[in-house]
Amino acid sequence: VAKTSLTSPPWPDVKLPDPVEEAKYHAEVVQKVNKMIATGQYGRLFAVVHFASKQWKITGEDLIMMDNVLEAECGDRIRMEKVLLVGADDFTLIGRPLLGKDLVRVEATVIEKTESWPKINMRFWKRHNYQRKKIIVNPQTILRINTIEIFPCLS
Amino acid sequence: MVVLSASLWLRSRLTDRFWRVQEVLKHARHFRGRKNRCYKLAVRSVQRAFVKSTKARREKKRFLRALWITRIEAASLEHGLKYPAFISNLIKSQVELNRKMIADLAIYEPKTFKSLAALAQRRRQEGFLAALGDGKEPEGIFSRIVHHY
Repeated sequence: VAKTSLTSPPWPDVKLPDPVEEAKYHAEVVQKVNKMIATGQYGRLFAVVHFASKQWKITGEDLIMMDNVLEAECGDRIRMEKVLLVGADDFTLIGRPLLGKDLVRVEATVIEKTESWPKINMRFWKRHNYQRKKIIVNPQTILRINTIEIFPCLS
Repeated sequence: MVVLSASLWLRSRLTDRFWRVQEVLKHARHFRGRKNRCYKLAVRSVQRAFVKSTKARREKKRFLRALWITRIEAASLEHGLKYPAFISNLIKSQVELNRKMIADLAIYEPKTFKSLAALAQRRRQEGFLAALGDGKEPEGIFSRIVHHY
């Protein structure tokens, strides 16, 4: 039968690879990455962590400032558990949505607990003799990320 | 001896007018023109500046989100995906990264962003296949052959 404009659908025909072969390929890749992690063939690791209702992209030895109070004294070591993504130069581990606690370990120390600079909140309506001025000072906490470690327990 | 009210010749005069004026002028020192020196003009400018900064703090969140979305769109177009396809397929694959993170990854970790784009593309194709079904044409109604036995 001759090919017309309506023989095949207008969207491109996409064939997914064979599931059995794909499973084999996936297992191979997972084993390779496991070996790389076990032998330690990665440089600097970065992680995306959900902390204080915000997501941060962190590496070792960097500082984080939260705009609220943390109930931990200065000098306490903290382990951040909600890790969304860990990556190195050659591989990334993407969590759906979180990575396991036995896979990643992110350690941080509380360095400083201060207050923010005085922010001024002002409301003003013209011709109505209405103005209100409020000075807001937020407590802040500064953390230093000590280490990000990964363990070879992929499956 | 206790005196309940002050005498008429006792006046109280303002002594710290200078410091009250300086409190306002210190916020106006980086302004342009006479409003960085003259109190009467500075009061108005400083009030407007405070009100604008309060309102801007609320708009900054909207503005930054639009910026992140533009950046993610540009980065995903480099990998052949449009922004709505990219974001919707990432969310359907249960990846809960927010736009700020994805924009930062697109800038500083291009390989990771490429893998995210590949993930979204694969999920998109699986979604299309699941929606299309068998690939057979639906049987017609008028072209059906009726058997009278």
